Amino acid sequence: MDRRDALAGMVAMFGAQIFAPLARAAGVTPGAGMPVIDQGAPSVQVFTPDQRALMSALSERVMPTTDTPGAIAAGVPAYIEKLLADWAVAEDREPILSGLAEIDARSRQDYGLPAVQAKPDQQDALLTLTMNDALPGGAEFFKAFRQMVIVGYYTSEIGITQEREYLPVPSEYNGAFPYSQVNKVYSA
Amino acid sequence: MASTDRFDAIVIGSGVSGGWAAKELTEKGLRVLMLDRGHMVEHGEDYTYDGKPAYEVPARNIMPDGLRESDYFIAQHGYVTPSNQAFYNNDRLNPYDYGEGSKFYWIRPSAVGGKSLIWGRWCFRWSPADFEANKREGIGGDWPIRYEDLAPWYSYVEKYIGVSGSRENLDYLPDSEFQPPMPMNIAEKWMKQRLEAEFPGRKMINARLSNMTEDKPEQNRTKCQFRNQCSNGCSFGAYFSTQAVTLPAARATGRLTLRSDAVVTNLEYDPATRKVTGVRFVDAKTGQAEVVSARVVFLNASTLGSVQILMNSRPQGSQRSHFDTSGTLGRYVMDHIFRVGVKGEIPGMEEFIEYGRRPGAIYVPRFRNIGKDEDLGFRRGYGYQGAAYREPAKPVGFGASMKEGMRRYGGWKFQMGAFGECLPYEDNHVALNPNKTDRFGIPLMQFNVTFRDNELRMMADAREQGEKMLRAAGLKNVQSSVKEHVPGDAIHEMGGARMGADPHASVLNKWNQAHDASNLFVTDGAQMASISCVNPSLTFMALTARAVDHAVEAMKAGTI
Repeated sequence: MDRRDALAGMVAMFGAQIFAPLARAAGVTPGAGMPVIDQGAPSVQVFTPDQRALMSALSERVMPTTDTPGAIAAGVPAYIEKLLADWAVAEDREPILSGLAEIDARSRQDYGLPAVQAKPDQQDALLTLTMNDALPGGAEFFKAFRQMVIVGYYTSEIGITQEREYLPVPSEYNGAFPYSQVNKVYSA
Repeated sequence: MASTDRFDAIVIGSGVSGGWAAKELTEKGLRVLMLDRGHMVEHGEDYTYDGKPAYEVPARNIMPDGLRESDYFIAQHGYVTPSNQAFYNNDRLNPYDYGEGSKFYWIRPSAVGGKSLIWGRWCFRWSPADFEANKREGIGGDWPIRYEDLAPWYSYVEKYIGVSGSRENLDYLPDSEFQPPMPMNIAEKWMKQRLEAEFPGRKMINARLSNMTEDKPEQNRTKCQFRNQCSNGCSFGAYFSTQAVTLPAARATGRLTLRSDAVVTNLEYDPATRKVTGVRFVDAKTGQAEVVSARVVFLNASTLGSVQILMNSRPQGSQRSHFDTSGTLGRYVMDHIFRVGVKGEIPGMEEFIEYGRRPGAIYVPRFRNIGKDEDLGFRRGYGYQGAAYREPAKPVGFGASMKEGMRRYGGWKFQMGAFGECLPYEDNHVALNPNKTDRFGIPLMQFNVTFRDNELRMMADAREQGEKMLRAAGLKNVQSSVKEHVPGDAIHEMGGARMGADPHASVLNKWNQAHDASNLFVTDGAQMASISCVNPSLTFMALTARAVDHAVEAMKAGTI
């Protein structure tokens, strides 16, 4: 939904309560001389194709498809790669890359397979090893990776509008709203 | 600027107080030039990320670490995010002196509208006791005005901007002209009842906010929609900003010229007439310097921005400002104490939750040293701002069970943070670095501001009393924190060009008029001789409207 649609939707919802300022609201005018946050393709390749496939599979194990879409459908792997390429500092890549390598090595040892080809329950077991710090650098990997998946998921369109109930303009406040009427966690 | 342009008044700065100066001056018939160092932000159309979800904001609205460290290393203490980045100062391009002994967070906006786009929007009147405290205690300089001088001007600005809040009839926190308050939620009402029963004399009241609860169609403004995304800019105009409130009023007169990207370097001065004769500025886009003049100048460049301009206005070869006959310019700089927090869990009421997101919730007004010195080891007092709320649960682990766990809300929690009064100390001062200048040739500001024993004792008391109140009210798992408080962190920096009756001990007289220049008025935070413990912007607005009224009367009478 682009901004114009969002605001048009607000006007439709609120009718006469909305005044002229909203009608004008459109377009993007970044300030002169301001540094712009890069939103293009990752400027460096953080992952090899194999690493990317494993990272993607593991993100789905952290936030799986259930009655709502999971991490892959929500674009979490692309978010993580962009984050590590351009928005985080370069040192943040290392724990993720080495964690993926440790997981892959352990998978070959335990299951005789690259981790990306392991079954979902085997991948869960490998993630559990990192969570319990039973692999070298495991806890550091798990904490950072889980955090990236959760942030990426709940800030995605699917996370905001499907997993949660998108409430951009509540328009009123009720400080004793019956919890029984809440279907999903609200997002903004 | 065309050479044929003539202005009756120049307003330097377009924030909370500058916007008010422009509105009042133009409405009283003056042709006004308003200058701002920042770029233009038009109401609505330049609120680029208003109403946008995180996935439509760069980097999901989380400031990239590298950019924060390179360009926003000070602004990060002022809640900068990608969605409001355009309103903030770029610390790399516009530095101050961060040297040893200069630890101060000078958190600045850099856009037309100034801090009115990024402020916390809490609105309080000062009490009569606030204006009298310096004199009563023999600390700092006495205010040359009292509450009664300002009360009608508080009413005037409150009615215009719209302030939501509850009438409480407290001597030490006078009521404003209120719109209905933002309601308390069920957990806050429960806490209010218990806290006030356990601590007679202490109160928990509704937030007092410039977020409106009633429309102002005559100003084209809509009441708060409970989005709590104020810092992206509000196209509804639900809270006070220059863009939503004072700029449209000033433009409507047809007498306002607004020039953005105009960085004022200094004021030109004629010692013979004791008047400001010119305002020199550099166009940030072209690098060209210009000098403009008018019969009267309002300096509203923000507390320390104004002090910097005043300090940099000096005779050739002199270190002393034209406006510093008293020797007090740059002294008595203050900021609220801020880094004290208390929190706890409120049992029960889990069958209820909040619908909608308020921009502010509750306030615990000052209860220390009210009316008399309580011998607590510190003078003056503090208040708390806080809220009760429920958050999505935070299950551990991963996978479907974690995802399912995140679909529930946890129980009620409560947290509040203190804002406390810092005393005016002569040696809490700022200066110009003689060896470093910025890209416009302006010497960098240097800070020498520290909190003292009174402030540290007050912070300790705010922590202890906060914990006591939460425990007594029945909260569980009560915790508190005191973080290092770097001055400036509360973004309530004030003082440096204080008001006073004595021209030998103050920079401004009781009308905000420079003792050294009859046509120069400073009506932002620089004027403050003490800082109360309440948020200051409303007081700046009232003082500005009052000063303009006086200035225009004086112009009519021919004394300016």
